[in-house]
Amino acid sequence: MSKRFLTLISVVLIFTMIVTACSNGTGAPEEETIKIGWIGSLTGDQAVWGTCESNTVKMLIEEVNASGGILGKKVEGIYYDTKGDAAEAVNATKRLASQDKVVAIIGPNASGQAIAISSVLEEYKVPDISTVGTNPKVTVNDDGSVKEFNFRVCFIDPYQGAVAAGYAYDRLGLRNAAVLYDVASDYSQGFTEFFEKTFIEKGGKIVAKEGFKEGDVEFKPQLSKIKDANPDMILMPYYYKEVALSANQARELGIDAVLIGGDGWPSEQLMTMAADAIEGSYIVNHLDFNDPEVKPLQDKYNAKYNLPMELNGYMAHDAFLLLKAAIEDAGVADPVKIAESLTKVTVQGVTGTIKLSPEDHNPIGKEAAIVRVESADYIFQEKYGLQ
Amino acid sequence: MSYFLQQLINGLSLGSVYALMSVGYSLVYSIMNFSNFAHGGVIMIGAYIGYFCLTLLGVPFFTAFILSGIGSGILAVSMERIVYRPLRKRNAPFLYFIISAMGASIFLENIVIASPIGPTFRSYPAVFSTSPIMIGGIALGRIDLLMFIISTLSLIGLMYIIEKTKIGLSIRATSYSIKASTLMGVNVDKVIFIIFLLGGLLAGLAGMLFGMKYIVYPQIGNITTKSFIAAVFGGLGSLPGAIIGSILLGLIETMTSGYLSSEYRDLIAFVLLIGVLIFKPTGLMGKTTEDKA
Amino acid sequence: MSWGYLSGILILTGINLMTVLGLSLLTGFTGLFSFGHAGFMAIGAYTAAMITLKFNILPESMFQLQFYLALIAGGLVAMMFSLIIGKLTLNLKGDYFCIATLGFGEAIRLILDNVDYFGGARGLSSITTQGTTTLTNVVIINIIAVTVLVFIIKSRHGRNMVAIREEELAAQTIGIDVFKYKMISFAISAFYAGIAGGLMAHYFGYIQPIMFKLVKSTELTIIVIFGGLGSVSGSVVGTILLTFLPELLRSFANWRLVLYGAAVIIIMISRPQGLMGGKEFSIKGIVRFFAKRRKEEVKS
Repeated sequence: MSKRFLTLISVVLIFTMIVTACSNGTGAPEEETIKIGWIGSLTGDQAVWGTCESNTVKMLIEEVNASGGILGKKVEGIYYDTKGDAAEAVNATKRLASQDKVVAIIGPNASGQAIAISSVLEEYKVPDISTVGTNPKVTVNDDGSVKEFNFRVCFIDPYQGAVAAGYAYDRLGLRNAAVLYDVASDYSQGFTEFFEKTFIEKGGKIVAKEGFKEGDVEFKPQLSKIKDANPDMILMPYYYKEVALSANQARELGIDAVLIGGDGWPSEQLMTMAADAIEGSYIVNHLDFNDPEVKPLQDKYNAKYNLPMELNGYMAHDAFLLLKAAIEDAGVADPVKIAESLTKVTVQGVTGTIKLSPEDHNPIGKEAAIVRVESADYIFQEKYGLQ
Repeated sequence: MSYFLQQLINGLSLGSVYALMSVGYSLVYSIMNFSNFAHGGVIMIGAYIGYFCLTLLGVPFFTAFILSGIGSGILAVSMERIVYRPLRKRNAPFLYFIISAMGASIFLENIVIASPIGPTFRSYPAVFSTSPIMIGGIALGRIDLLMFIISTLSLIGLMYIIEKTKIGLSIRATSYSIKASTLMGVNVDKVIFIIFLLGGLLAGLAGMLFGMKYIVYPQIGNITTKSFIAAVFGGLGSLPGAIIGSILLGLIETMTSGYLSSEYRDLIAFVLLIGVLIFKPTGLMGKTTEDKA
Repeated sequence: MSWGYLSGILILTGINLMTVLGLSLLTGFTGLFSFGHAGFMAIGAYTAAMITLKFNILPESMFQLQFYLALIAGGLVAMMFSLIIGKLTLNLKGDYFCIATLGFGEAIRLILDNVDYFGGARGLSSITTQGTTTLTNVVIINIIAVTVLVFIIKSRHGRNMVAIREEELAAQTIGIDVFKYKMISFAISAFYAGIAGGLMAHYFGYIQPIMFKLVKSTELTIIVIFGGLGSVSGSVVGTILLTFLPELLRSFANWRLVLYGAAVIIIMISRPQGLMGGKEFSIKGIVRFFAKRRKEEVKS
């Protein structure tokens, strides 16, 4: 008897949940608030970055609301976790666009996810600004046409790869490069491809190219092969967890080549885990963390969340600034109009002046900041662009 | 030549990681005839216990080591009590055990993720420097050396217990036949308790060593699929088999990476597994049990 | 709840249900556990995707037909693989068979990771989603699948499979060709999984090997157990519940898998027959259920 009772209770419970979930979706009065969605990794490897992004967006929304909102309306942020998974990103985007009826989405940070959500954005006609999605395919189709509803505030991998190659060859005088890359990552593949192209064009040699898969922790077999090829530098175009592991293991094998990486590196955890191993390495970054201009934002974030500010926070800040300007320019909280305005406005962000090009929805004229890792800090070297 | 030797060292070091992990599998299989997929979860918890002992409690290294072993041992025994014993008492078909084990492993992995501990990975505070010991042109990592020593010592200890002590005798007897051993006066419940405890202990050590060599994260259980393959390869139910299987797997993986392509590394492990299952399911040194009609 | 969102979840349920139905035949009725069915889904998905992406032999106007052919091709190719795999492994003792399926599931995924022709680890993208997988399609295909399944189960073949599940040795003694029936069961389950994979590919618009991890195979088997071994309606109800709940409990996403794990253990210990207990929905059953409730209310 008790089993049947339990079954009935559970059915009732499920019904209640369905009803509550439904009412949550349609309860809020539609015209009073401007809803902005955010997606990114709140769990998984990149959780630290995703959390920083969503925190920054929350903080900025609060500020904006305190000073009257946008177009006189309050802003509401809706945040979904993609778990670092592209399929989840698609689900989350669908939910934001069709169920929550957001006017725009900020994030995700990973190229793989940003590319995956393109068709959803097109179907529902909602614009998305990716924070650090650097693969060209995020905003541009294979045939060169621009994706109407994808935008970004960061530079792209062709640029990043070329800058890394250019800096390594011209400034650091390195000639023999080895590459260790993540075969499962759009980001890593793109970066590697463009690095190789530029490096070889300039006259350098790629002496070794080894791959691994996301989730691997053991890199010694690949690194031993790289060591055998005797490179002056190793390119590590992937994310900080694997960077820390591979950098440590490289040093354990007695490799002392210069390590060079990109915007997947900067993170507190990288320093905690591998500060010694990456001493003297170079990173192609979006900005200089020690620039006095970004200090107010850092301090505000620290004070509010008691956490250090990560790279993604700055990008999210600029994405939000851009979005706000676009909404104001459009004059109405309509996704399609906002999408049009996104390429018309110019904002002064913490990572530089941001104006998106109508041809490819990428920021025009953004230069990379080369930083060198010294004593667990990122020491700015110079602003470096494509020659 | 030095390249080959370097890869050899890499392979042995990897193999010793697998060995510590796979022994626990074999131990449980030898008596209960099912694959305890939850073992990976126990290893993962061991890694976390060690981590928190070092960071939160600030105890010295070896104390943390022992604590993580004990903690995992307790976890393993509790799992046996809560999950497997009820099934055993009801003579449930062995497949129920496997499903429950899968359930337990999913539970463990995700409860860590959902708890305040969270899914972000942690790294052990550096107890040893990363500068390697160079022998000729070959680098031997300090942690690798430590792992190798600890693995060897623990395995020798375990083999001693199994071969030379009275409790080891009862373990061996039970592995042949639970029913006959009961008839001979062996307290099977106690034997099962002991093997889970031993397996858990080793899992804890393995987890902590793994965490030190790499990082600590909730999905460590997935890596242990490899050690499970090693156990099958060496012969489920045979401890020496598990060890040899693990070393061989470590070497094969590393050599594949080093001489063919790193991309095929995982694939080789599974191809090996399938090959073994098809051609010699009992593995290199496994015991054959025939079902009497 | 907006229709767009709801229909999305229903489609996902339908896709899961296809594989679960196949698994139900294999596990629930024939007693074989597989931890590798995500591999068959992968085969079906990649086959179907390759056909609609690269081998568009029919003219544009007949694209729908091309899609259905692609689905069937996906199912057939998956079935072919299952025949090979089955031949090699169905002779193994149950425990080893599980492990072998796990091995094959992962091996298929790893091979796809490495073959650039299939997009490697980054997978295939730009698969046509318009006019392919729709709610109507999925529902119709599922209805056909359930009907066929019930037909098989109620037939002599179905009863043979149940006999194998109950007591393999006895079944063999009375003359049932155990190996042949295991193969049939395995092959059909692979066919269903293959079609599910094809539907999935055309729903998401892109596929990557990592979408077919071991966890997915395990989750599918858990759904079958949850719904109840040996019950088709159990599988249907189980899939609906276990696909909807995670969406509804989005805020508790982290705890979903914790609950799964705990639920599996609890089910195995206390109610291994799952939700439906090996029984099916029937009008008589529902009437009896409510009649009993009223009787209990009167009693208490």
